[in-house]
Amino acid sequence: MNEERYILFDQYLQGEMTADEKTAFEKQLSENLELAAELETFKEMHLQLENKFQHEQEREAFRENLTKISDKHFNKTKPKVVLLKPWYYVAAASAAVLFGLFFFNYNQNPVFSDYNNPEHAAFTERSTADETLKEAEIFYNKKKYNKAIPFFETILQKNKTPEIQFFYGVSLLEESNFVKAEAVFNELKSGNSVYKEKAVWYLALSKLKQKDYKGCKEILQTISQDYEDYDEVELLLDQLD
Amino acid sequence: MGKSKIHPDQIYIEGLAANDSAVIQSIYKKYVPKVVLFIMNNSGDKDQAQDVVQEIMILLFNQAKAKSLQLTCPFDAYFFLLCKRKWLNELKKTANQGVTIQEDIVSMNESALELIAHTEEFDQKQELFDTMFQKLGEKCQELLKLSFSLQSMEEVAEKLNVTYGYVRKKKSLCIGQLTQWIQETKNFKSLKNN
Repeated sequence: MNEERYILFDQYLQGEMTADEKTAFEKQLSENLELAAELETFKEMHLQLENKFQHEQEREAFRENLTKISDKHFNKTKPKVVLLKPWYYVAAASAAVLFGLFFFNYNQNPVFSDYNNPEHAAFTERSTADETLKEAEIFYNKKKYNKAIPFFETILQKNKTPEIQFFYGVSLLEESNFVKAEAVFNELKSGNSVYKEKAVWYLALSKLKQKDYKGCKEILQTISQDYEDYDEVELLLDQLD
Repeated sequence: MGKSKIHPDQIYIEGLAANDSAVIQSIYKKYVPKVVLFIMNNSGDKDQAQDVVQEIMILLFNQAKAKSLQLTCPFDAYFFLLCKRKWLNELKKTANQGVTIQEDIVSMNESALELIAHTEEFDQKQELFDTMFQKLGEKCQELLKLSFSLQSMEEVAEKLNVTYGYVRKKKSLCIGQLTQWIQETKNFKSLKNN
């Protein structure tokens, strides 16, 4: 390694040369292309080092924040013990698929599996004593819908709540039990619970799974623009056109 | 590049540099799904898509911080093509057979392509630099780290319990070593291209 050369570079860049030294060095640079190229690389190393170390803390903070946002977007948040707000998860997951389909119009019909992101259920926090509910939740979250269905039915006989009805409906749809599923969603649709509009969305998905694209579209068109995930509805409509 | 007009989407770049969560979230919401779908349609899975996106985001952060990223085209096209090219390169690395890359160059304007070339060059330079930096001895690495994070070389000398003259000389030589390696790589590359 040409040690002298690099020490000279440093002195030059730090402005530590005398006027004479500087003139001589610059004359050398103009005559020696290799020397000039190496000085450029030497300067580039300074920039790289500055960039590497001066923003180190900011970079760490950015990475951390990015990972958090990314994991949330890709639905990787660890299941919390507290009651989840299921729509946030399904919204993120289905938005991913729907947006994608929107941009990639392959002129083919959308398929149910692309939109199928059943949300996580978390009932047990409120009634930890209820074994049936717990079983239902476990099977449901493990996507063993055929096993979850009888548990939901037992619960509904005792206590009919829109929430359980809704997850029952989703399970039925997953098992392609369209008649029953649609009956459940229709009941929710005519009710006034928070599941009202979501049920309509699932009715559309049911049509989609049955490849009834016209029916799917007709139902989607009935969803009000105030619906919380209306952009997804819009995108699916676009895909159906 | 300086001549071209800066696109209003530059706000995304500034937002990344400022670690603005709202901006990062809106990029994920608006532009990432398209990338995910592309990767999943091209022999990848969701996890791989997540990684590719994250790497590109960090690259953009670094480039923005180095003040060398001025968007002259819509963010959408720029971001998507960067991710896409990154993924296809990953595929090429692992695949036995060559992967056909379908470039939708027709739909891209010149400034977008120029910008992507610029970003990829930035990435390659940084990667090369990082590789070389790792080759340095521990002492050089430590000294350079302190030299570029502390305020003055006097502080560096104090921290390392050596003289000012020593750290100054050592710093020049450590950067010199990096310079030499990088210069060799550059010369080798231009030899190959000629």
